[in-house]
Amino acid sequence: MRAMYRLDSIRKCYGSNVALDIEELTIGEGRIYTLMGANGAGKSTLLNILAFLSPPTSGEIFYAGKRVDWHHGSVEEHRRKVTLLHQSPYLFGGTVYDNVAFGLKARGIRGEAQQRRVDKALDGVGLQRFRDRKARELSGGEAQRVAMARALALEPEVLLLDEPLANIDRETTGLLETVIASLPARGTTVVLITHDPEQPDRLNGESILLEGGKVATPHPPVRR
Amino acid sequence: MDFLVSSVVSALRLIGAFSPDVVDAVGTSLAVSAGATVFAALFGIPLGLLVGLSDFPLKRLVVTFLNTLMAVPTVVVGLLVYGFLSRQGPLGALGLLFTPTAIVIGGVLLAAPIVANYSLASVRGADPRIVPTALTLGAGRFLAVGTLIGEIRFGILAAVIAGFGRVVSEVGVAMMLGGNIRGYTRTMTTAIALETSKGEFAFGMALGIVLMMVALLVNLFLNLLQRR
Repeated sequence: MRAMYRLDSIRKCYGSNVALDIEELTIGEGRIYTLMGANGAGKSTLLNILAFLSPPTSGEIFYAGKRVDWHHGSVEEHRRKVTLLHQSPYLFGGTVYDNVAFGLKARGIRGEAQQRRVDKALDGVGLQRFRDRKARELSGGEAQRVAMARALALEPEVLLLDEPLANIDRETTGLLETVIASLPARGTTVVLITHDPEQPDRLNGESILLEGGKVATPHPPVRR
Repeated sequence: MDFLVSSVVSALRLIGAFSPDVVDAVGTSLAVSAGATVFAALFGIPLGLLVGLSDFPLKRLVVTFLNTLMAVPTVVVGLLVYGFLSRQGPLGALGLLFTPTAIVIGGVLLAAPIVANYSLASVRGADPRIVPTALTLGAGRFLAVGTLIGEIRFGILAAVIAGFGRVVSEVGVAMMLGGNIRGYTRTMTTAIALETSKGEFAFGMALGIVLMMVALLVNLFLNLLQRR
């Protein structure tokens, strides 16, 4: 199994405050990793770096074996292979379909191929009948499921989830956990922030504990 | 009270009879205001978005300057443009003074800061998750900004309508740069000022009613769009 990410001496500073200081971290392909740690431990900072939204202050990242060059177009290219889903996702105005199709349109996927992928993604989260509903009229749990479908429709290499199951009911949590747990079988790597200590077991994932911006316990090596 | 009632009745008769003077003034007003608003939007929207979306030194100063421009009296704008367009001015050779074009130029200067400021306010008030969400879904910078504009489109539309409102309702620029020439540069507001001073209160009232109706229609249009 190859390494999806390799982080080498990564530091992220905001002024004099060091938010993240990781000597070395490897994230293997097709596995689930749960990021745990107290508030301010650097979890979201790490996720933003992994999503190529925010460059580290220093250090190097290798994605699928290639060094990431933050100052050239390659970042945009990497960003298209990775999707980040926030705890409180933003749904664009328009219908559920418009939202789920957004990333596909950005990739130039149109017509039948687009419809097929949108339908498949909505089916995966049990929202097929919500296809033409206005996105802004959905409940919190439904919006979360649409955001998940929007991410899944892209069939990303890596899915990054920032507390995706916080503030939603148990039934929706169960449904989304089932969806997340099925992703490695499709080759998708998942990195998920959680405060639920039992979630790594339920998702059959590996834990990475962050403390004060540092990896507190070495995560298990990538199994071959 | 009788005077007011009879004036309103006379005004409604003038409107109903499509009095040529009323139609001319309304047509000129709408044409120069629409023209000025289009150009003000072309300058103001990108300016507001640029200032709102970028960080640069002296940004606060630029925002303060834009805010100040909103409060510039119309006669000052009229005076400034008059200086440029008058025969002795640098653009005097173009012969634009006392033409509808001159009113449009003045209108652009009045409306552009309003459109820019309202657009800027829309960007600042936008949900901060819009651009990151678009980026993380694979949008490039250009599409992400386009998505932001789409999400705040009603704010931007309100900016354009506010700009139109400023131009259609002002007197100073239209009077100084248009010259209030009957059938050519006479707008609703300059006609109201002139006719009222001549004692033609009903005529002024008729144009006042039309002006109010225009404002009402524009706002109804905005409300209709927002509901869709």
